[in-house]
Amino acid sequence: MSTLVQEIESKIKGLQSGAAHTNTGRVREVGDGIARVEGLSNVMLNEMVEFPGGVFGLALNLEENEVGVVLLGSYGSIKEGDEVKTTGKLLSIPVGKALLGRVVNTLGEPIDGKGPIAATTYYPLEKIAPGIIKRRPVTQPVQTGIMAIDAMIPIGRGQRELIIGDRATGKTTVAIDSIISQGRLNKQGEASGDKDFRPLYSIYVAVGQKNANVARVISTLEKEGAMPYTIVVVASASDDAASQYLAPFAGAAIGEWFMDNGMDALIVFDDLSKQAVAYRQISLLLKRPSGREAYPGDVFYLHSRLLERSARLSEEAGGGSLTALPIIETQSGDVSAYIPTNVISITDGQIYLEGDLFYQGIRPAINVGLSVSRVGSAAQIKAMKQVAGKIKGELAQFREMAAFAQFGSDLDDKTKGLIERGRRIVDLFKQQQYQPLPVEMQAAVLYAMQQGCMDKIEVDKIKDYQAKLQEFLETRKAPLLDAIRTKKAIDDALGAELKAAFDEFGQFYK
Amino acid sequence: MKSPREARKTARSLFRACLSGGRLDATRVRTVTDTIATEKPRGYLAILQVLSRLVRLELERRHVVIESAAPLAESEMKNLRADIIRTHGDDLTFDTTVRPDLIGGLRVRVGSDVWDGSVRARLEALPV
Repeated sequence: MSTLVQEIESKIKGLQSGAAHTNTGRVREVGDGIARVEGLSNVMLNEMVEFPGGVFGLALNLEENEVGVVLLGSYGSIKEGDEVKTTGKLLSIPVGKALLGRVVNTLGEPIDGKGPIAATTYYPLEKIAPGIIKRRPVTQPVQTGIMAIDAMIPIGRGQRELIIGDRATGKTTVAIDSIISQGRLNKQGEASGDKDFRPLYSIYVAVGQKNANVARVISTLEKEGAMPYTIVVVASASDDAASQYLAPFAGAAIGEWFMDNGMDALIVFDDLSKQAVAYRQISLLLKRPSGREAYPGDVFYLHSRLLERSARLSEEAGGGSLTALPIIETQSGDVSAYIPTNVISITDGQIYLEGDLFYQGIRPAINVGLSVSRVGSAAQIKAMKQVAGKIKGELAQFREMAAFAQFGSDLDDKTKGLIERGRRIVDLFKQQQYQPLPVEMQAAVLYAMQQGCMDKIEVDKIKDYQAKLQEFLETRKAPLLDAIRTKKAIDDALGAELKAAFDEFGQFYK
Repeated sequence: MKSPREARKTARSLFRACLSGGRLDATRVRTVTDTIATEKPRGYLAILQVLSRLVRLELERRHVVIESAAPLAESEMKNLRADIIRTHGDDLTFDTTVRPDLIGGLRVRVGSDVWDGSVRARLEALPV
């Protein structure tokens, strides 16, 4: 028996050759980050190909007689006639906790000068999103720390919430505030020793941005202590179009590792309009047919396959989640342009930031009428639902009535009361950047509004009242805040205690 | 002037007409090119250029390059050719070159497939 096996094994040894088999081609044309290669008869779609000098490319167009390859990195040394080899690999990126606190490029290489990253696991950039069986509904909240969002447009873990608005309306600030809030909550959770605490790791993907802006974001995250829980993926404006097109996929792969390993992650794509522009550039250079606004026909699929990768997995699949906050920049508030409508239809809601509100001093400049969260309300804690349930309606009524009031007609007391309440709510939702509020504080402040404690305060004093009330609650009534945090609801007893606290505060507030 | 797309389309159909049983028929290619050159249809130059590229690519697909660090003995070369013909068919053209920079061993290219058993390739494959 054993001799028979030995005989077969020796036969196999005799047949094995040391020659490495590769499929090759020759560069016919190179320019604008694209190479056209003849040969490569066995190349696969999206396969990495190797050029001389260690330059890699991605086979994106498989044509009858040649292959369109998009080049990654510096391609100055590539010339006509160079040999190109297939690698049999898909473009992959290192993933894992070793990346936390680091800044990497699209290929996962560190660009923060802190040395190499000790990652052992690699994930392909393009991956099929989890199917229906592996998913479960969104029920856990993402506390962004922004009162207007947490109260009216709540976001749940596994949700995809679009942040949309013109340039300089505070889109990035909303995203950064959310990341800072996660940093604070993670620190708090780790310090509390709570076994059920699920940290939320953040990934910030900067696409086509100025390096100065990216540096500012990183320094803010470092200053606010959120960097140890954050990974930054950068494909700046000076990087090639291929890197800008692939960066969101790289970020999604990093986030998927957390999700697949039963953890929660939040990913910010800042922004997908620039990614679409980079993809348009590549597609036009590859001579793919162009469609509306010269974007290629598959630009919808580009974003839908990316955003489908964020999900909340079932217990059997590990229970992890990936929440996505894609950002889209509009031109003069035009949400009906091609890319904005595409991404609005893909996501589970949008936060619409308006330039007019921003310049009126309402910051964050959220347009409550156009902003919506389609699945997040299920993820809101009960205390927030109790205090914020009616606020969106009240604000909508206020806007309608305020328009009427402009005509100067006499108003009845009820309408006057509604307008006065609305003005106070608008002021209450104003929030300084990089100052996220914990959810228990948000609930307490909104409860004070709901109970009419702010009705007698002048509108321009609302922020002062709120700041002093917060200080009072933090220093004198901390057990009440702890109670909201642990119970996650305001029951009759807690409500009475809160009311007593507000009365006590009201007595000495000036 | 015929558009480049039309020229490509015509050249492709002419190229297909030059195939016989999936293989390129040299006589047909000559007949086609002679006819185009004499009759000069619209955009004949562009058609000929595309056709020439298609023929070149097809010939490269059926071309074998054997590279060795040192000259091979006649018997070795004969055996090697016979092996390649057995696996890839008998319509191949062969080219042999001596490349001392391979250090040792052989490198065989059939169309776009390369089997590299040279010492140089093994040295390059070593992890840095």
